[in-house]
Amino acid sequence: MSTAVISADDDIFEPSLQSILDQKTLRWIFVGGKGGVGKTTTSCSLAIQLAKVRRSVLLISTDPAHNLSDAFSQKFGKEARLVEGYTNLSAMEIDPNGSIQDLLAGQGEETDASMGGMGGMMQDLAFAIPGIDEAMSFAEVLKQVKSLSYETIIFDTAPTGHTLRFLQFPSVLEKALAKISQLSSQYGPLLNGFLGAQGQLPNGQNLNEMMEKLEGLRQTISEVNTQFKDENLTTFVCVCIAEFLSLYETERMIQELGSYSIDTHCIVVNQLLFPKQGSECDQCNARRKMQKKYLDQIEELYDEFNVVRMPLLVEEVRGKERLEKFSEMLIHPYVPPE
Amino acid sequence: MPSLLLVVILVELAVHLVNTIGAATINNLLWNLYLALPTQTSRQVAEKKKIQKEYLTIRRDLNATSSQDQFAKWAKLRRQHDKLFEQLEKMKSSHDASKAKFDRTASIIRWTATSGVKFILPWIYGKQPMFWLPNGWFPYYVEWILSFPRAPLGSVSIVSWQAACTGVVMLLSDTIKAILVLALGAKTAQKQPMKVAGENQGEKPTSQGTKEKKDS
Repeated sequence: MSTAVISADDDIFEPSLQSILDQKTLRWIFVGGKGGVGKTTTSCSLAIQLAKVRRSVLLISTDPAHNLSDAFSQKFGKEARLVEGYTNLSAMEIDPNGSIQDLLAGQGEETDASMGGMGGMMQDLAFAIPGIDEAMSFAEVLKQVKSLSYETIIFDTAPTGHTLRFLQFPSVLEKALAKISQLSSQYGPLLNGFLGAQGQLPNGQNLNEMMEKLEGLRQTISEVNTQFKDENLTTFVCVCIAEFLSLYETERMIQELGSYSIDTHCIVVNQLLFPKQGSECDQCNARRKMQKKYLDQIEELYDEFNVVRMPLLVEEVRGKERLEKFSEMLIHPYVPPE
Repeated sequence: MPSLLLVVILVELAVHLVNTIGAATINNLLWNLYLALPTQTSRQVAEKKKIQKEYLTIRRDLNATSSQDQFAKWAKLRRQHDKLFEQLEKMKSSHDASKAKFDRTASIIRWTATSGVKFILPWIYGKQPMFWLPNGWFPYYVEWILSFPRAPLGSVSIVSWQAACTGVVMLLSDTIKAILVLALGAKTAQKQPMKVAGENQGEKPTSQGTKEKKDS
């Protein structure tokens, strides 16, 4: 834990995300939490701050309900596109469910004449193994991302359940594909005996090519897997609000991330209320009391985390200027007005 | 060879005992004896018991802690709880595996010591006469049957002897059972009339008592 070492110098865990900016080796940063706690705002802000200290930053949203376009007031698509007003910050939105369909459709068209069955075979495969479609599209995206050579990639993930499933895929899929590869190497010769020298399957597919493709996919995934488990390369930023359910989900998520050995040492607590002294607003005061209770609990439970407290603003955090202002508070802790 | 005669009887007795007591009961008994010895398995079992106790304590604490008011404490307990639970599951499976292994070994040993010996003895001593019959007391076909597979004519073969022993053991066990049933039956029979008499006497109070119970 390099951050732990950094923080251990002054022996306290700073309430800011400065440690992430300082950790130059970080390549993958996940931002996750329950729906509606401000993941997108946090990830955009973090991306803006990172863009100041890194050569190039890519922000990817894997949430089917895309909010990046909303946050930056600019349309993003499946291709990485520069965010207006920045030279080294790009963003893209991928749909884990949609891109497999595109992948298959594209394949079907281009291979129609020569090996039209291949697409069919891949399609069968894609729908035979649960979750493989999402994992394959994920792998495809990662391959793209790797070829684009960004220094840091930030994932704005889907709400909790999805995130964990997403991160689990590499391990699960690697196991399944290892089995398939092993089977093919064992029975491949036998099958080839039936199929003839070219290894043509009855509907015009090529067994060897098929297996090569799977093997390639497996290698990409296992590489990604090892990178995700390396705390020098990957970290997970948990976003929550000071409420019971959000806290509960966060605890669950941190435990599960631990079981996948994915590093996490930052928690962003969003939407905190800081009513003025002597405020007459009953709701604000009651909520403040409740939030204070959970903040104390967070402090006690996550004493080895950088816990960042973010205030609830009076306006929506949209557009470049507001995001920049908001992002400052990730680095320089917000001081509530007395 | 009197010892062989004795051995056959004992083997028959052992087989019968195992059959009546039941293999599972014997295996359990042996397993408990094995656990009493200072082996690694018994240490594991002791550790498992300790962890189980700890787990139950934490579980009680967890249930007693409000997750809303003391989230930090609750979550810490929850972490411990999950860790211990996982550990317990692992231990349980390893314990089950060692028990299955022990059962298998015990069964094999038990079978060889009883049924195995029972089958092997006639094979080894098939040609040996157990004892000789007095000459001319029995007709030829009886002598032929008694010496059945391979023993010399006019003697009793080991197979016949085994059959005879089985019969005797069965008869004995049946007799003992019958006596036991008779004795126990007599006891219960003695008790029953008393009970009946008592019930007759106290019929009304008891029915009232049940009624009262129902009412309350």
